[in-house]
Amino acid sequence: MRVHADLRLKDVPGQLVRALEPISTSEGNIVGVVHHHDAVIGGRITVNVTFEVKSQKQLERILADWKERDVDVARLSSMFETFEFEYLIVGDIPPAELRELTDGIESMEDLDAVDIRYSVSPATGEKAAMIFGKVKQKSAMGRVEDFLRQRSMQAGFLLISGLGD
Amino acid sequence: MDIVIVGFGTVGQGVAEALSRKAPTLQSAFKEKLRVVGVFDSKSYDVSPKGLDPREVAGRKQKLGRVGPELNGKGVLEILEEVDYDVMVEVTPTNIKDSEPGFSNMMFALSSGRDVVTANKGPLALKFKELSRTAEKNGGRLRFEASVGGATPVINLSREILMGERILSIRGIVNGTCNFILNRMKDEGLPFDQALREAQEMGYAERDPSYDIDGIDSAAKAAILANAIFRRDVTFHDVRRTGIRGVSLEAVELAAEERKVVRLIAEVSESRLEVSPRLVPIGHPLAIGGTLNIFQLMTDLAGDITVAGHGAGKMETASAILSDIVALLKEDCASRKKEA
Ligand SMILES: NC(=O)c1ccc[n+]([C@@H]2O[C@H](COP(=O)([O-])OP(=O)(O)OC[C@H]3O[C@@H](n4cnc5c(N)ncnc54)[C@H](OP(=O)(O)O)[C@@H]3O)[C@@H](O)[C@H]2O)c1
Repeated sequence: MRVHADLRLKDVPGQLVRALEPISTSEGNIVGVVHHHDAVIGGRITVNVTFEVKSQKQLERILADWKERDVDVARLSSMFETFEFEYLIVGDIPPAELRELTDGIESMEDLDAVDIRYSVSPATGEKAAMIFGKVKQKSAMGRVEDFLRQRSMQAGFLLISGLGD
Repeated sequence: MDIVIVGFGTVGQGVAEALSRKAPTLQSAFKEKLRVVGVFDSKSYDVSPKGLDPREVAGRKQKLGRVGPELNGKGVLEILEEVDYDVMVEVTPTNIKDSEPGFSNMMFALSSGRDVVTANKGPLALKFKELSRTAEKNGGRLRFEASVGGATPVINLSREILMGERILSIRGIVNGTCNFILNRMKDEGLPFDQALREAQEMGYAERDPSYDIDGIDSAAKAAILANAIFRRDVTFHDVRRTGIRGVSLEAVELAAEERKVVRLIAEVSESRLEVSPRLVPIGHPLAIGGTLNIFQLMTDLAGDITVAGHGAGKMETASAILSDIVALLKEDCASRKKEA
């Protein structure tokens, strides 16, 4: 995820390095730094930092570090790249199972959204469910897949997965 | 180049016909005589050191059900001991249980330094390593373009033309029968059983359709791709396999509402080896209809490359076998030039 932060630093030497350190020690990737030396408010200057982190946890570690170092975060925005998944489940799926499936996925880390469509044929009673969603990390795609594979195997459903791209 | 054809059914006869048609052009291009010196089916054989007329042998087979004198209890390999040949075209039936008689035939040729060109999946999907080691040890060459994708040139494309690329993964539709069934379900709203019956009536599916619809044929091909292109050491049994039996009309229709089709996809990479029904967006190359085969190769430099073509059929499969024979001729021609 890409993060933009406006930091307000004390206008004394060494402060910028002190502010950027938590990003590099937590293996974040600094993309750009812009100083605003001219705008000194209350003895502090504003610096815009753009960086990339792999997870929310990593970002939280950086924020905690800043707090400890008395770096004032005036504004924070982040943008996620998302990865879409889709699955079709075929078999005698009881409605209660749908809840379990969505709950299971919803409880996963790095989930952005999940949605389910259920359909029962009026003619034959055949059931099918389509599950769509988005995750914020590519690695989470594997977790969703493992979960659905396991549940489908236990219940004897046929799991049809998307191409994953 | 002296060729023996072992197995003289649909594909064997197609090869005979293709050789008759193309030999003159190939002989003048490579300055080498192309002769069929032996033909075998399960019960009979015909050999001639001066070369047979392959078309005539095919005509005999069609008329009499045999190619020449009966084997009379003699084994094919016993007779081959006495035959001088360079290349064995091995096109006996695929046997995914123990790979015979194909495996023994191929080992016989390769261990004496002969070349083998085959469409037979069994030995390649079960004992690839043993075959390629034997070939390497004795200086024989093993080529098998026709075993995966029929006429679609996926193996030689990957191993020769794209040799400089790193192939990251291959996804493909390798069984025309399954594709026909899934397509009929979607287009005509047919339930699975009915679409399968239609495929059987049209001669696409066998009476025992398990080989196609349980993904056995596709898994054998996936294993061959993994061995040949990703240099893995796998067999048919290592493929994670789900067929299309469980794909209901309801599922196909729900997918269609989301602009998706269901396709039986083989996916092979360094870490993946799987055959399973997948959801494919309409308009994606892998959403292809009919009985065609298709392959999508993901590569590091070229990006995605897609090839499609006929996955089966007499002349289509013979075409892939011919392409391997041409590759051998080309190599021989190059080494003759080098020596000169
Ligand atoms: N058909 C296709 O479109 C296609 C496509 C790709 C790959 N292939 C592969 O190509 C191979 C040949 O297929 P096909 O369709 O030609 O099969 P086929 O029509 O059943 O022909 C098989 C031939 O092998 C002969 N045979 C069986 N056992 C033998 C033995 N022990 N020794 C010598 N010959 C023996 C049969 O003899 P009889 O004639 O006496 O029965 C027959 O002539 C198979 O491995 C298949 O998987 C086929």
